[in-house]
Amino acid sequence: MNKVPFPEIERILFTEEQIEKRIREVAAEISARYRDGNLKLVGVLKGAVFFLTALARAISIPLKIDFLSISSFSTRPSAPGVVRIAKDLDESIEGEDVLLVEDIVDTGFTARYLLQTLAARGPNSLAICTLLDRTPRRIVQVPVEFRCFEIPDRFVIGFGLDYRQLYRNLGYIAVIKPDRDSLPFAL
Amino acid sequence: MGLITITGAPGSRHEEAARLVAQRLGFELISELRLAALIEEEFGALASLPEKAWPELMTSVLARLATEHHLVVCAEGAEWLFEQFPGLLRVQVVAPEARRIGVLMIERRLERPTARELLRRLEAEARIRRRRRFGRSVQRAEGFDLVINTERLEPEQAAEIVAAAAAARAIAEQGYLSAAAEAHLQFQVRLKLSRYGIAPAGKLSFKPRRFSHPSEEIFANLLDFYRVAWEYEPRTFPLQWDRNGNVIESFTPDFYLPQFDLYVELTTMKQSLVTKKNRKIKLLRQIYPDVNIQVFYQKDFENLIFKYGLGRPPGPPARSSRPPASEPAAAERR
Repeated sequence: MNKVPFPEIERILFTEEQIEKRIREVAAEISARYRDGNLKLVGVLKGAVFFLTALARAISIPLKIDFLSISSFSTRPSAPGVVRIAKDLDESIEGEDVLLVEDIVDTGFTARYLLQTLAARGPNSLAICTLLDRTPRRIVQVPVEFRCFEIPDRFVIGFGLDYRQLYRNLGYIAVIKPDRDSLPFAL
Repeated sequence: MGLITITGAPGSRHEEAARLVAQRLGFELISELRLAALIEEEFGALASLPEKAWPELMTSVLARLATEHHLVVCAEGAEWLFEQFPGLLRVQVVAPEARRIGVLMIERRLERPTARELLRRLEAEARIRRRRRFGRSVQRAEGFDLVINTERLEPEQAAEIVAAAAAARAIAEQGYLSAAAEAHLQFQVRLKLSRYGIAPAGKLSFKPRRFSHPSEEIFANLLDFYRVAWEYEPRTFPLQWDRNGNVIESFTPDFYLPQFDLYVELTTMKQSLVTKKNRKIKLLRQIYPDVNIQVFYQKDFENLIFKYGLGRPPGPPARSSRPPASEPAAAERR
């Protein structure tokens, strides 16, 4: 058992060394797959920033990077709103081999929306690479081509993943214990 | 009455646009699935109803609903009904074949050739169904008030255009269908239905959507946010029958997501009740092996809630300024 540095952290799921090693392995797969391609990594802000930069540095072929972000979910019953692009890509992806880089794929809602949006822009190919894949929570099936780790259905933080914007800067990935008393309704 | 019909070819994303229009205008959304369930409730099993009676069946059900609600109807052939009513706005959503194939590829996880084949099959089936039900297979542009091409428009943008057209036509300012007008319509419709030997049970009641647990409302809002079409408790599955064939046990999943042909059940209750529900779900999977159902248990849902920032995080409160759980401050992206 790894020593936990903060009391709210239940346990460390993946150490910095484990993450670095796995990213190198996935980067090698990507380098081989896109050797003759025109690779562009598209990161989804903010969570994917840490993963994308580590991944990009480990990939051995030329590549471009770009970022986008989407709007936030509101809980107001009167105006639930709909997801939309909050910050769009800076450049066209037409004819490029786009690898959508995610920090985590769980329900698949976000990935599906982004795939639909990007598919309409004429890329040569479109695939997903995620740091974490939480398949037990999948509702919408989306094709995940590259994944570093599959994780159980626990709430995790670190290496870009936050809880209310905190903990992104942790170099490892840890499980944080949910506080059941704080739920907006009785379970 | 205010009635907006939104129809389109497979893959044109007209269902998403319809749902967004209903959400934006506060109209009731009647999808193909919901309409079929209402027709079945009023007139009996769909398999026993002749296809030719479909316009009258639709008219009867929609007229009843229109006495209490403005409607967005996303069902084939709806544009051919109520043509004489002033509060009607007929919208057709189109998109080039390549775009629609792309939509099917993503939604159904298909390779392009398979998606193309599926699209052709769905289109052919729709043509046959329209001919059988309405006596015509082609939807001409002049039969609509508004035709929207979603090649370059997202469903949300299409919904904005429809909402603007509805405002220009003052659709929402129309009163609901009067009881007298409904009675007149029902008389005509039931006269025609009697030719097919169809006698309505007169039990149709339109239940406003009421969730039985706050978690369901949160989940529904999440689906709306991600533009995922959903139906609330649309189908009850019989699980056990007595010797006379009467249903003695059944199960009604909370949500149905038609785009993915997936039922979702939220289980946020005591462990003793979870065991009982698990038994029912196991039974459902045995009796209906083709039915896809995803169960969210308490822990799954807790974590989903925490992901969207609706709960308070663990740890000392001094480390962050946390809004109360009811505030709309959820961080969707992580």
